[in-house]
Amino acid sequence: MKRILPFVIILLVLGSALGAAWYMKRSNSGGATIPSASLQPGSAGSAAPASSPVPGAEPPHVRGSEKAAVTLEEFGDFECPPCGGVYPVLKQIEGEFGADLKVIFREYPLTPNHAHALVAAKAAEAAGLQGKFFEMHDLLYENQNKWKDMFDVRPEYEGYAKRIGIDVERWKKDQAAEVVDDRIFRDGARAHSLGVKGTPTVFLNDVEVPFEHLTLDGLRAEINQALSKKK
Amino acid sequence: MTPELSAQNNSNTRSVVLYGVAALVSLIGLADSIYLTIQHITGESVRCTITSGCNEVLGSPYAVMFGMPLSELGAAAYFTVFALATLAAFQYKLAGRLMTVVVVLMFVMTLWLLYLQAFVIHHFCQFCLLSALVTTTLTVLALIAERKQKSATSPSR
Repeated sequence: MKRILPFVIILLVLGSALGAAWYMKRSNSGGATIPSASLQPGSAGSAAPASSPVPGAEPPHVRGSEKAAVTLEEFGDFECPPCGGVYPVLKQIEGEFGADLKVIFREYPLTPNHAHALVAAKAAEAAGLQGKFFEMHDLLYENQNKWKDMFDVRPEYEGYAKRIGIDVERWKKDQAAEVVDDRIFRDGARAHSLGVKGTPTVFLNDVEVPFEHLTLDGLRAEINQALSKKK
Repeated sequence: MTPELSAQNNSNTRSVVLYGVAALVSLIGLADSIYLTIQHITGESVRCTITSGCNEVLGSPYAVMFGMPLSELGAAAYFTVFALATLAAFQYKLAGRLMTVVVVLMFVMTLWLLYLQAFVIHHFCQFCLLSALVTTTLTVLALIAERKQKSATSPSR
């Protein structure tokens, strides 16, 4: 019995470790990468989110009209492939709805799973300090496939900084600036307070849009429904 | 019982206790590595509460080796140490030897990772520091336990 006992202990610990890992994985992912909305989409603006949300980075990165009836708030990670897939959809939707739509982008870099996500977020935020956040945002998403498997992405991003015509030396320094870290942290805090677990997560007037609705037709229908309620 | 035999027994008991403690300490390392591996797999951001550099360290290219997250390799290493320490505590002598070899290799790796955090990434991550502390403790325990075991088996004068 004494000779078997250590093997029994080892097997028990192995079983417990695998069980704990499985449990943590399940509770972390909540059964799905994208949490489903706790409120029905379409009831936009009529109900407050379940938790009390914190504000996020101020001022936020906004595209579109300040007075728009519909606000889309996206929590994105520049390295996440589904975010890269949603990017052209949002861009087209912005063009279609014009002054009726305001789009906010919030940083939610999913490190360590995405090795370059934080560097990309910092590159975009540092460009934002020179008023060119969305120019960098667009280039990062448009070229995601090109840089996501690179070992060192910095020279690539430097090329984008040159293309959008910002002061590259200042941009390089700004990436290490406290204000950049602070903005990313605040956006992350807002994401947590809203229960965001994956990217892209999009809120339409503070109500989460299910991931499967983040298509051209799906978003059009959601926005039209929200607009008709406002009128 | 002669005084020599009694001294040998004492050394033996001490090494058993030391290997038992090493097995328990390795469980802390195992839990730490499992946590980081799961965060890596699910893509969750790791929030540091004591130090500030978790994202920088865990998001750096150094957090991955041979296409595997380092935390996964760490979990395997800590489990190996746990298994060997348990066997050694039950007087499997070769297990103690092997454990010392594994733990010393882990310690060398730890020194390299500490160097990377301090001089290359310029950020520290608390979960990596905890792992460094666990590995250092294991190294000390393994070396002392092996000495005790040697003195228990070699004839004393």
